[in-house]
Amino acid sequence: MAPTTHSLRPLSCWKTIFRHTRLQKAATRLLTTQAQPKRTFEESKLIAPRRKSNFKILGPPPALKFKEPIKDVTNAQLAILDPTNARSTLFSKTNPEAAHVGDILLVRLKTGDPFAGVCINIRRRGIDTGILLRNELTRIGVEMWFKIYSPNVEGIEVVQRKEKRARRARLTYMRKPKHDMGSVQNIVLAYQRSRGALRGSGGAGTLGKDELKGGKRKVKGKGKR
Amino acid sequence: MLNCIDNSGAAIVECVQVMKMKRAAKIGTGSPPLSPPHTHADWCCLIGDRIIVVVQKQRNFGPESGPGASVSTSAANKVRRGDIRHAVVVRTVKKLQRTDGSVVKFDDNACVLINKAGEPIGTRLNGIVGTELRKMKWSKILSLAPMHL
Repeated sequence: MAPTTHSLRPLSCWKTIFRHTRLQKAATRLLTTQAQPKRTFEESKLIAPRRKSNFKILGPPPALKFKEPIKDVTNAQLAILDPTNARSTLFSKTNPEAAHVGDILLVRLKTGDPFAGVCINIRRRGIDTGILLRNELTRIGVEMWFKIYSPNVEGIEVVQRKEKRARRARLTYMRKPKHDMGSVQNIVLAYQRSRGALRGSGGAGTLGKDELKGGKRKVKGKGKR
Repeated sequence: MLNCIDNSGAAIVECVQVMKMKRAAKIGTGSPPLSPPHTHADWCCLIGDRIIVVVQKQRNFGPESGPGASVSTSAANKVRRGDIRHAVVVRTVKKLQRTDGSVVKFDDNACVLINKAGEPIGTRLNGIVGTELRKMKWSKILSLAPMHL
């Protein structure tokens, strides 16, 4: 049937009329209200000058001085406590000659005897970075945490490196009797003797920076080998 | 239960009371008593604390053992099984933080028996002790010890 037949049939003619109105209605629904150009702040002031408010209107707060304040504090502290950057390099992750977990470390203290032991944990927390050393003294296992940037710590030396890289970050299994290394005092003593022989008789009593440098050199030499 | 590391004759003792804790309860303070160099947690004793112990196991000296040697053993031992004695804690498994930020931890709990005046009963110690004893005025024990840390 051709569409032109609707003139003959009035009912079907209504159908097209309704469709037309429906479309019109839909078009009106979609119409938005006419947009007016927004007045700028200055213009609105001209139109309706407002009374002067008693409230003081402040501008936006100034931009923060420090982008990362904690990092800045850490760096400032490190500059004070580790000016030569020796400790940071000794325990940095990028340094291939750094001390790792499993190495035997010797910590010399300003007050008291030096303590040596197997490093079983390195806790990296910026300025609070600490190492956990384990040793056996008088057949009793002893563990000590040291803060590597502590002013009480005079120097940290690598006595012996682990032959194979440890596959764990924390060697807490070394507390178990099966894996316990026992006393490392003999190794440390041998190391101290060899170092004393290298340096000569006068080197035993030196303290402070001189010794620290010596320790560093020793570490580097070990790494090259 | 802790090890006894002196030659008083006790090998293993059991802690039955921590001194200074009662006084805190008597005072009725909510917080634990502040006594230098560290604060005590409730019912927790650290290195240098005085405790009351019961001797649970005696140390037997020498190779001889059995009923015939028991007389000599008891003669050598100054304390006997079941004795109630005072003692000072010298090693703890619990980590103890020092003022410089270092932490010390031993593999066992150990004590040294003392009399009521505070003098050690034994004459020799075999084993390392904590340096905290000095701060707690136990220098006599510290001088007996072969090593301190």
